[in-house]
Amino acid sequence: MSDLKLIGFLCNWCSYAGADMAGTSRMKQPSGLRIIRLPCTGRVNPLLIQKAFQEGADGVLVSGCHPGDCHYNEGNYYARRRLELLKRMLPAWGIDPQRFHYTWVSASEGARWAEVVAEFQARIEALGKLEMGYPGGDVVSQVS
Amino acid sequence: MADLITAIKKVLEHTDLVLGWTTATSTGVAAPARFYTADEAEAAVFDSTCVHNLAVHLPRLKDKDVGIVAKPCDAQSVVELVVEREVARGKVKVIAAPCRAMLDVKLIWRRFGYGARIEDEGGRLQVNGREVPREDFILRKCLSCESTDPVIVDEQVEGDGHTGGPPDVGGRTDDLKERFAAMSVDERRAFWAEQFSRCIRCYACRDVCPMCFCRDVCLMQTRVPHWTGGSVESRDSEMAQMIRVSHLAGRCTGCGECERACPVGIPLLLLMNEQYRLIEEMFDYRPGSDIEARPPMQTFSIETDLWEGG
Repeated sequence: MSDLKLIGFLCNWCSYAGADMAGTSRMKQPSGLRIIRLPCTGRVNPLLIQKAFQEGADGVLVSGCHPGDCHYNEGNYYARRRLELLKRMLPAWGIDPQRFHYTWVSASEGARWAEVVAEFQARIEALGKLEMGYPGGDVVSQVS
Repeated sequence: MADLITAIKKVLEHTDLVLGWTTATSTGVAAPARFYTADEAEAAVFDSTCVHNLAVHLPRLKDKDVGIVAKPCDAQSVVELVVEREVARGKVKVIAAPCRAMLDVKLIWRRFGYGARIEDEGGRLQVNGREVPREDFILRKCLSCESTDPVIVDEQVEGDGHTGGPPDVGGRTDDLKERFAAMSVDERRAFWAEQFSRCIRCYACRDVCPMCFCRDVCLMQTRVPHWTGGSVESRDSEMAQMIRVSHLAGRCTGCGECERACPVGIPLLLLMNEQYRLIEEMFDYRPGSDIEARPPMQTFSIETDLWEGG
């Protein structure tokens, strides 16, 4: 296993269940992704993604219900605007937008989930580790 | 059309106070002032050292009827404050003043000495009585001004200069903006890591921002949840700025006060300009241009939001 850190923010209702299905169906997928379960992609503050990069993530994946299928009807519509804006802002912050990916995976798409993870893992492996370049190094300070 | 003082006096008949500028006794350049009476208004000035965006005061004067002298860029802030329901349209009177691109007073004083006398008449700039090329001392934000005609005008002040549309900047372009645009992603990472190492966390960028009206509950300073620490490490300072930039998405009008107020010269407008450009590109929305608008980050469109996540 590589030392790359990949973080996944998954909505509880679709993508987390989809990832669960990929697991229970014993589908082969890379093990580098650390999953954080959230109620909805609408809960994904874009700052969570920037914070993840700052704290050592090399890639961040956000996945939720397909547009039109949100458990809360419209959470992922708001999320789509925020996430797309963040993706386009990342180059200005000096972070390769390829390191951030958002997508939609339903509870029944275990196979698609395995594909998404494999593709994302391969993409980040090609990019390598993210260096934030802070003076004094990228060591994460202890937060209380 | 009226001269400035007449316009202020006229507005004062219907308001409690007018926000404008007077000449600072210490330095001779314009300083923000509040005029409560017609007599006080006699001291009002408007020139190319009126750099401040006075709209920042409006959310804190909600209980008053307020007049405000505004450049085209400042007027956009007033509009966006109305859109965000921070200011009631009926409680504010805009005195629109023509702008010929503001001067970078700090730059002039660095070159000619603190307090050097600045005279700017008819497009000719004189410092200590000697003519100097005006275009060399224009405030950076004005070089890429995209302000349009103010959409709310209660009084129009006469004078030369643009009321909307780009001012004459003598053909100068913004070197820093061009250099930043040409940088690779890795170069920008190193650029910001270095820039934010100078931040002293004074929060001037937030305090001068008309659209930063959360005040006591600002996430940049809140430590619960622990988004960022209060240190002056580049990491903490950059996260604080990431918070500010993201909270201004679809609201920032690009007035550039954050950058002007920064005591350590961090070019924050590079980030604000880019976000402004993206908001226009994605949502066809220019903050401060439509008083009836719904801010883009507070809504969505099923039909047109078709991005795929890349």
